[in-house]
Amino acid sequence: MSRLDLRPYVCPLTWVKTRIALERLEPGERLEVLLAEGQPLDDLPRTAEEEGHRVVSRSPAPADGAGAWSVVLEKGSPRDAAF
Amino acid sequence: MALSEAEIARYARQLLLPGLGEMGQERLRSSRVKVWGAGPLAGPALVYLAEAGVGAVIVEEAGAVAPADRAGWLYGPSDEGRPRLDLALESVDAANRFVYAEPEGRGPGPTAGLICLESADATRAAARAAFEARLPHVVAEVDGEGGAVTVVPVGGPCFECSFRPGSGRAGVAAGYAAASSLGALELAMLLACLTPEPRGRRIDLLRGHPSARATVRQPGCSCASGRSP
Repeated sequence: MSRLDLRPYVCPLTWVKTRIALERLEPGERLEVLLAEGQPLDDLPRTAEEEGHRVVSRSPAPADGAGAWSVVLEKGSPRDAAF
Repeated sequence: MALSEAEIARYARQLLLPGLGEMGQERLRSSRVKVWGAGPLAGPALVYLAEAGVGAVIVEEAGAVAPADRAGWLYGPSDEGRPRLDLALESVDAANRFVYAEPEGRGPGPTAGLICLESADATRAAARAAFEARLPHVVAEVDGEGGAVTVVPVGGPCFECSFRPGSGRAGVAAGYAAASSLGALELAMLLACLTPEPRGRRIDLLRGHPSARATVRQPGCSCASGRSP
């Protein structure tokens, strides 16, 4: 499973980098993103679900440092462009 | 080649557009767009193409800044008499450091074209040249405060197949901005493959309202065999 440490980043880069990493996966493959407490932890899982991906888990990750959270996403089927 | 960290940061908002993503941005970056013209009709397109992150903007322009060019975006009163080409390249450079700004004839050839000329005859000649060079291209025309944008993908109907003479009214600032920016947007969508398949279409802008239709090859037009009319 790929892992992405997004703690140094803020919105919209957190989602941009997640989305790029998801684009490189096949549907059904998983991606773990490491987030800091705060807005990205609320926004990123919601945005992922809105775009058709599944939030597998969301849990504290103390082994990665204080305030770290692990969010595991499963890539959904790609959606058609809106154009 | 994947986007760099700096490019991801630069294009963050754009990368979130539906269907674009990293691959679309990479397609834009790999394109070299030749822009015919650097007058008021080309100004907004030059800025938008640079902001969108095409790989290179190649400008073909031989004129000097005239008072009428003030209707565009690129030139101020102190620029009158200076070469449009130099100032246009400076504007592209200033808009995005990731984009090469080049005069025609330097570096590799273009992979796509955007025609933004004020004269109908020059526009038609440039469209024929782009077609013969097998470049996917977009033609922007201004007509008063409106105009038209024609998308010509490789293999699609040529510009002549959908050409209609305008009313002959001189362009005004709003018309230049609308036709030019829409032309750049259509070309960016074509280059990034944001449409299900490359499609030829013409968008007429009348009093601010766009009206789009698919272009159709005219019976007997030589473009069916890949030759310009």
